[in-house]
Amino acid sequence: MSTLAAAAAATNVAAAGAARTRGWRRYRARTFYLFASPWIAGFVLLTLTPVVYALIVSFTNYDGASAKWRFIGIRNYVELFTASPAVWESMMRTVAYTAVVVPLSVAGGLFLALLVNERIRARGVVRAIFFVPSVVPIVATAIMWRLIFSKDAGLLNGIVQVFGGQKVTWLADPYVIYALIVMSLWGLGGGMIISLAALQDVPQELTEAARLDGAGRLRVLRSVVVPLISPVLYFQVITGIIATLQMLVQPMLLAESSGKLSSAMVPESTTLFMVHVYNEFFYNNRFGYGSAMLWVFFVVILLFTVIMQRVSRRVVFYQNDVEDREDEK
Amino acid sequence: MTHLAESPMGTATTPPTTTLALRAPAPKARRRTSSSPGDRPSVGIYIMIVIAIAIFGIPFIWIVLTALATPQQLNDGVSGLLDLSSPVWSNFIDAVTKVDYLSYGANSLFLSIMTAVLTTFSSATVGFAFARLRAPGKNALFLLVVSTMMIPAMATLIPTYVLFARLGLVGTYWPWVLWGLAGAPFFIFLFRQFFSAVPRELEDAAIMDGAGWIRSYFLVFLPLARPALLTVFLLSFTGAWGDYLAPALLLNMDNTTLAVATTSMYADPRGNPLVPLQSAGAIIYMLPVIIVFLFGQRYFMSSAMGSSVKG
Repeated sequence: MSTLAAAAAATNVAAAGAARTRGWRRYRARTFYLFASPWIAGFVLLTLTPVVYALIVSFTNYDGASAKWRFIGIRNYVELFTASPAVWESMMRTVAYTAVVVPLSVAGGLFLALLVNERIRARGVVRAIFFVPSVVPIVATAIMWRLIFSKDAGLLNGIVQVFGGQKVTWLADPYVIYALIVMSLWGLGGGMIISLAALQDVPQELTEAARLDGAGRLRVLRSVVVPLISPVLYFQVITGIIATLQMLVQPMLLAESSGKLSSAMVPESTTLFMVHVYNEFFYNNRFGYGSAMLWVFFVVILLFTVIMQRVSRRVVFYQNDVEDREDEK
Repeated sequence: MTHLAESPMGTATTPPTTTLALRAPAPKARRRTSSSPGDRPSVGIYIMIVIAIAIFGIPFIWIVLTALATPQQLNDGVSGLLDLSSPVWSNFIDAVTKVDYLSYGANSLFLSIMTAVLTTFSSATVGFAFARLRAPGKNALFLLVVSTMMIPAMATLIPTYVLFARLGLVGTYWPWVLWGLAGAPFFIFLFRQFFSAVPRELEDAAIMDGAGWIRSYFLVFLPLARPALLTVFLLSFTGAWGDYLAPALLLNMDNTTLAVATTSMYADPRGNPLVPLQSAGAIIYMLPVIIVFLFGQRYFMSSAMGSSVKG
């Protein structure tokens, strides 16, 4: 039935007059905007407006509550760039943390993917064990790792004591940053799944040919497999960097406290940039200053994204190519 | 120098690969996923897998031990927790009765289902438009969709909170309604790919049978998209279920979700945390998500995670 109708469609379209085609096009365009309107409205109201609002607030001394606020020009930005080493410390801390966590989690995810791509027993179960931590809600993840790192009842200190060491207060400076890194890496199963999907698309002929030529496993991995799956690894690096730069909840939940959202109790070594922003907003009630910090952050992310897009154009394949081909029909 | 020493797994038990590769290819047409058809994984690989399983599994074991402990066992530290002689199963009952767990659970459930339904339907509709319709400005808009995937969501949440506070929306579920209605860029992207793959003949047939775009969307495309719809529904459901920051910022203590309640409600009148009860509560809280992903693992892997990045 569909072939018949398609044939009829082809004839009809060919026979249709120019005026009708124009009307058809207009109808189609109207439908497009009707269908896309939820997202367009959402973008304007829920993304653009808050961001622009933050820009306006960043030039004021608004404290979030009082009606008496006034424009203070660029004073927030001046303070941020010149008078506040804490801003740069938290920024650098975030960059360093990202530089450690993202490569480790992408490489670790690839390593696990290679392991579970082998024809091992109970492969499905093993994959699930590696994958599940990445979907556990962050609240439960933080509770679990606080139990592991807890000073008195924690597993880690239990092990330390078995080897004759003293109990360590893991969830305070300077060790808490390691706890945060471990907790983040625990979720690398998400990357594993993505890498695994890519690995399964690597043509076996290629790896076999390389092996015939005498390449060892490591060599096949380095020279054949990794280049072939590089777009997927690259994707993970980009999304990983963006996610890690804006990390906020994890340090707050890992800090030992049971109250509601007490970012002020986050130890210094895990006060990442967004935690600092959060402090300025909700602890110091400096909405103007916090907004200025957010805007600097937006610009940094934007610059980063633009640079990465430039770099990635050769590596990453977006669907646009397919669409262009389709449009030519 | 042999390939044995170069094995990434660092073991010397792999058989010589050349002979294996020279062996006739496997008779099965199905493509194997292993690196080499005849290779059996070596002992070294199993050792590494066991170590990794231990690392990834220990937090789960530890939280279960804690959830079954008495306060005394918790005070005794590791030796107390490893003493399995008297597991306190009633901790799980206390965890749901000592705090208003069911009511928070109902809040979580309502909020997650509502968000997921709205997000799924809205993202599908927008994704369909980008996949199947043409209009001036469409490519620019799609670039915007892709770019918003890069915008730090966490960072926009704080100004959104400030704005919603001024609009009087804090303490209500309206923000979730709005977020749901707007759809999510990543899901729009997924649906766009899904709908792009539908053969053009089907669309032409529907149109020529007299259906407009709207009818062919509802009667032809949407029913076809059932697997994608289910995937996105479950992903956005678990996303909303696990979200902590938005409910913490935007809701009050009486209408907040399990995520916030589990973090902050388990304390005795003097404010000391009730760790075993909190652990039990956290286990119950995370179980739905784990179950969903365990049953859908293969499915998610092929339909969502894989296709979204492989392009």
